[in-house]
This record gives sequence, structure tokens and C-alpha cells, in this order.
Amino acid sequence: MGVLEDIYTAVVDGKVDYAVSGVEKGLHSGISVDEILNKGLISAMDLVGERFGKGQVFLPHVIWSAKAMQAGMECLKPYLTGSQHEKTAKIIIGTAKGDIHDIGKNLVAMMLEGAGFDVFDLGVDVDSETFVQKAVQENADIIAVSALLTTTMINMADVVDLKNQKNLSSVKVLIGGAPLSTEYCEEIGADAYGVDAMEAVTKVRQLLNR
Amino acid sequence: MEADLSNYCVPRFRLLDDSQIKRIHHSVLRILDEVGVRIYHNQAIDLLASHGARIKANNVVQIPSFLVEAAIASAPSSLVIYNRDKAPVMDLGERKIFFGTGTDLPKSIDLKTREIRDTKAEDVVASTIISDAMPNIDFIGSYGLPKDVPTGLHYIRCFQLEAENSKKPIFFTAESQEDLRVIWEMAGAIAGNSEALARHPFIISYSEPTSPLSHSKEAMAKLIFCAEEKIPVNYTPALLAGSTGPVTLAGALAVAVAEALSGLVVHQLTNKGAPIISGVAATTMDMLEATVSYTSPEFRLTHSAYADLFHYYGLPIWGTAGCSDSHFPDLQTGAEYAFTLLNAALDGTNLIHDCGYLGQGFVASPELIIFADELIGMVKRYIHGFSLDTDHLALDVIKHVGPGGHFLAEKHTLDYCMQEHWRPAILNRKSLPNWLKNGKKTVNEKLVEKALEILQTHHPEPLSPEVKADLDQIWSAAQKKSRR
Repeated sequence: MGVLEDIYTAVVDGKVDYAVSGVEKGLHSGISVDEILNKGLISAMDLVGERFGKGQVFLPHVIWSAKAMQAGMECLKPYLTGSQHEKTAKIIIGTAKGDIHDIGKNLVAMMLEGAGFDVFDLGVDVDSETFVQKAVQENADIIAVSALLTTTMINMADVVDLKNQKNLSSVKVLIGGAPLSTEYCEEIGADAYGVDAMEAVTKVRQLLNR
Repeated sequence: MEADLSNYCVPRFRLLDDSQIKRIHHSVLRILDEVGVRIYHNQAIDLLASHGARIKANNVVQIPSFLVEAAIASAPSSLVIYNRDKAPVMDLGERKIFFGTGTDLPKSIDLKTREIRDTKAEDVVASTIISDAMPNIDFIGSYGLPKDVPTGLHYIRCFQLEAENSKKPIFFTAESQEDLRVIWEMAGAIAGNSEALARHPFIISYSEPTSPLSHSKEAMAKLIFCAEEKIPVNYTPALLAGSTGPVTLAGALAVAVAEALSGLVVHQLTNKGAPIISGVAATTMDMLEATVSYTSPEFRLTHSAYADLFHYYGLPIWGTAGCSDSHFPDLQTGAEYAFTLLNAALDGTNLIHDCGYLGQGFVASPELIIFADELIGMVKRYIHGFSLDTDHLALDVIKHVGPGGHFLAEKHTLDYCMQEHWRPAILNRKSLPNWLKNGKKTVNEKLVEKALEILQTHHPEPLSPEVKADLDQIWSAAQKKSRR
């Protein structure tokens, strides 16, 4: 139990080095991958999310916990079985065509990584072809698009349209950004809208039905 | 912070320059020497006469400058106030700021029904518990004046209820020397004995001269008693420019300061070096409604001016802020709280009272103590300023992130986010969608919710059973005596 507790504490405290050494120690001492994943890493992030929701910790703390979680995940990856791999769904993320405002997108990417997902960040000013191409290439589960401007958010519709044209019904589109709303999400036929980075994680989980 | 001032950027504010301070001080000295003050207390008159003051007809005493200068010199320039457990909690002096509620609000807005009704003893308990829970409320006043306790006893009862429900220092009023003595006995029982209380005072007595230039018998008796027993005392006039003082701010200020300093002279002649907090409240009388404004811009000007003057004297200074002329928590309340709190903090007055007041000093609404606490936090953060040292200038991090990157995941951000950024507990910072989703709560609603929650969940450290029994006994004796 000691090692699992160490991993848990390292993630809660945002200590990247300790998370890595904890996971390595756990693997060496024969603790199951499942236990390290669930009792060490994921449950720690759950606590961090809960504390964040209550205003007890702030964004930088969550980000560093996410970094620790992610570093721990990297060590675990070679040992993950098929079913465990599914927990780490693949997400393509970027800002909409024409938009270079990326702080919100970065935040969402970090939160998703912290939640254990595989995130492929395409950066800023990403056109619909690039989004869809990368999704096909990586066999991704979700495309996440962010926009700050009302003039660029309209380009999100192109991503949805192109994805539909290619019959990629298993790939879901998540959108977010200051000018967006649930109504706009419905209007362009996207699958979900996250009001902030924490909700983006919740929405991803819902889309994956987990 | 003080040692490394070049690296620290703090808001600095001063209204008067040195020559203006001297001009006002000179005028104050002339008022005391040429006009004098009326004193309705023979012992005080005799004391002043024996030290060189001139006694005139109708109890008027003219005080020569040397007595005033001597009193300013002998009064302590700083004063440590302790809590009930003898831990030092307020070092009154210099520009250090401490905040607390006031006393004597006869009306209360009921937390549950929101009606304006008479204040009750249970309201004093509630405001004390809320004040106890608030990190930025440093000292406690009765806040309310309970109508369900007989006159003559209510200050004693208030003190007892406050002492039972918080260990923070208590700022209290008394009707006369008689109930002051009873309160002092209670405080002595808590401290162990009167010597222990004088060594580690956790109480501050409030008394005031009557403008213009008069000292009532009761006010003098309380002031002298406090000097003799080394009870920290706050002796500060409340002057109304245009009615109980000159309409002009300079004249109003000079009269009010003359009142405060004449009290200081009696206090220091009674017991040199006895602890006193000084200052004035010189506000305006509204010339249409004939009411007292607690928040007029003129009040804030005289507040800034006397702060500069008393900093020059080197005396611990009393202040007023976090109050409103509105009778119900509204936009006016918010504006006046913010304006007065920022002003008092910039003025660097030490013992800032009246936080949570409504209705020109008539109406209590206990959730507003939480509101004041929140705004004090905001103001304190502002007053604290920011550092300019190498690590705070952050050139290394800026180089590391470079153009187009982001700082969210930097260790530097993690290390400094808590100390550099203040966050509100009550004021809204939610995004519009999140605010809509979370019930569209206004600050007013959140404050009332928070107040009710504190009253359910906050349990102040109780007095020991022995001390509580002592207070009960003193209370019973006071009740018996008042029935006679």
C-alpha cells in the first residue's frame, strides 16, 4: 500500500519526479498495472478535480498534478493491456482556422492529458482537412476545436461537415471557447460543448460513454 | 518589505505635507489655549488646573500648548493588543491596519426574514460568531445594541456574549463608569486578574467627547478610569461639519482634533504612558435630511488629514470604514464599503472600526461583516503592492516560454500563484455560462447563505467552565444591583 500511496500523493502534490519513481517502484515490486493506474494515478486526479471544484486548489496546481499523472502514465504505457489502453482514448486538439488564441486550448489539452487521455495537439490556426486527416491517421476518438472569436468559430462547422462527408461517425467533435454555447454546438451539429477545461474532460468522458 | 523598499512597489498616499500639518496643529493649539474646552467633571478640572491650565467661567478650561505637547510625548506611540489567550494579535502603530466591527446598532435586518426589526441579544452572539470566523476581522464590537436587555445592563451583557463567543480582542462601549467597571471585572476574570489584564490587554474601551469642545461627566469618568487601570481606551469625537463644528473641513478638523487632544491631556496627566488610541471622526451633517453621513467624501478627506496629523504625533490611530448610509444591502452599500475601506487602508489608520455597518450607524445586517471581510482582503492585497526583484521580474521564465508559448504550466506560475494573486471568496469570477448554470446567485444571496452556514458550522473556542462561571456570577450581581 505504501508505494500506491506515494504515487497518489505525488500526483496530488504535483511532484512529477516522485510520480515517475513511484510508478517504477510499483512495477518493480509487482503491483498490478491496474492498481497503479486506478488507485494511484486516476483516483489522485479525481481528488485534485474535487478540490479544484471546491476552490481549494487553483489551475496551476491542477496542471502540475496533471503533469505528474501524465509522467506516471508514460511509464505505465508499455505494460498496458488492450482494455486498459481504451481508457486512454485519443483526442486531436487545436484552435479553429484563423484563430491563434490558444491559452484555452492549451488548458483543455493539459486537463485531458491529466485525465489520462492521449492528446495530439495540432497547435493554432488548424484547417478542417488537417483535423480530419490526423484523426484518421491516429484512429482518434475525438476532435476538439477551440475558438475565441466569433469570426473564427464559424470555421468549426467545416470540421463537422468534413468529418461527416468522410463518414467518420465514430469520431466525435467537441467544441469550446468564450463565444460558444450549447445552442451553437447544436446548430453546427457538433457532439458536445465544454464551458471550461474541467467540463471539457467531463464531456469527453460522456462522449466515450465511460 | 521595509528593509528592501527599492524592490517593493507599494501604494503610498498622503494628503497633508509637513507645513500643512504644522499649520493645522498650530490652529489646534490656539483653540485649546484661547477658546478652551468645557469639562463637566470636577476631578478633571482640578487636575488640569494643578498642571497649569486656566479655569474660566462655566467649566471652561483653557489648556496651554506645553500640556498638549507633553501629553503627545508621553502617550505610547504603539500599543500591542492581545487576544483572550494573551497572544499578541494587533500591534497598533505606524501604518499597520487592523479591522473590526463597531457597536450599538439598534436595528437589525433579520438573516432569514430580511425584515428590519429591533436588535436582540442573539444578534450580538450571531455577529460575534461571524466575526470570529472572518480572517480579516481582527477585533470585535457588539455590532448590535440589544433591545431585549435592560438599559444600564446591555453593554455588560454584550461584553459577556462577545467574550463567550470569540477570543479576538473586544472593542466595547459602556454607559458610565459603573458598567465599565463591571466589564473590566469580567475582563479581569478572563485574564486572571487586573494586573494580568493590564499586561496583556484584550479589550479596548470606547468613549467620546461631545462636539463642540465639551467633555461630559460620564466620558471623563470613563477616560480617567481607563487611564488609572491602564485599559486601552479610544477617546475620539464624532463632529458634524456645519452643525456641531464649522462647516469648512479645515475648521471642523481643527475643532475635532482639539477635542481629542484635550482628552489626551487629561488621560496622560492621570497616568503618564497609559495606553490610548486617538483620532477623530469629522463628517458632514446632510443639510437637507439633517442626518449624519458615515461615508461622505468630506469625511474621507478629514479622515486622511487627521491620519497624517496623528502619524506626525506618533500616536496609535483610530479609523472608520466599511460602513454605508444605505438602510439595506444594495449597490450603495458596495460602493461605500469599497471607497471607505480603501481610503482608510491608504491612510494607514490602525484600529479601523464600523465594518459591516448600514443605515448611518443604525442598522445591522450580519452577512455584511462577511462582505467587509472580503473587501478588506481585496484592499489588503492592493496595499501590499508587488516586488520588483529578479525572480518577480521573471526574465528567465519569459525567455524560457518565448513568444507564443504560455505560462500556465511553468513552475514559476505554480510557485507564485497563491502569493501574487488574491482570489475572492464571495465576489463573482465565474464565467457567464457557469454563473447561469450555478443558480445565478448575486453577492447578496451568497452572503446570506454564507452567514447562515457559518452560524451552523463555526464553533468558537469556548471560555473555560470556571471563567464562564465567574462571568455568570458577575452578570448576576450586576442584574441584582440594577434592580435595586
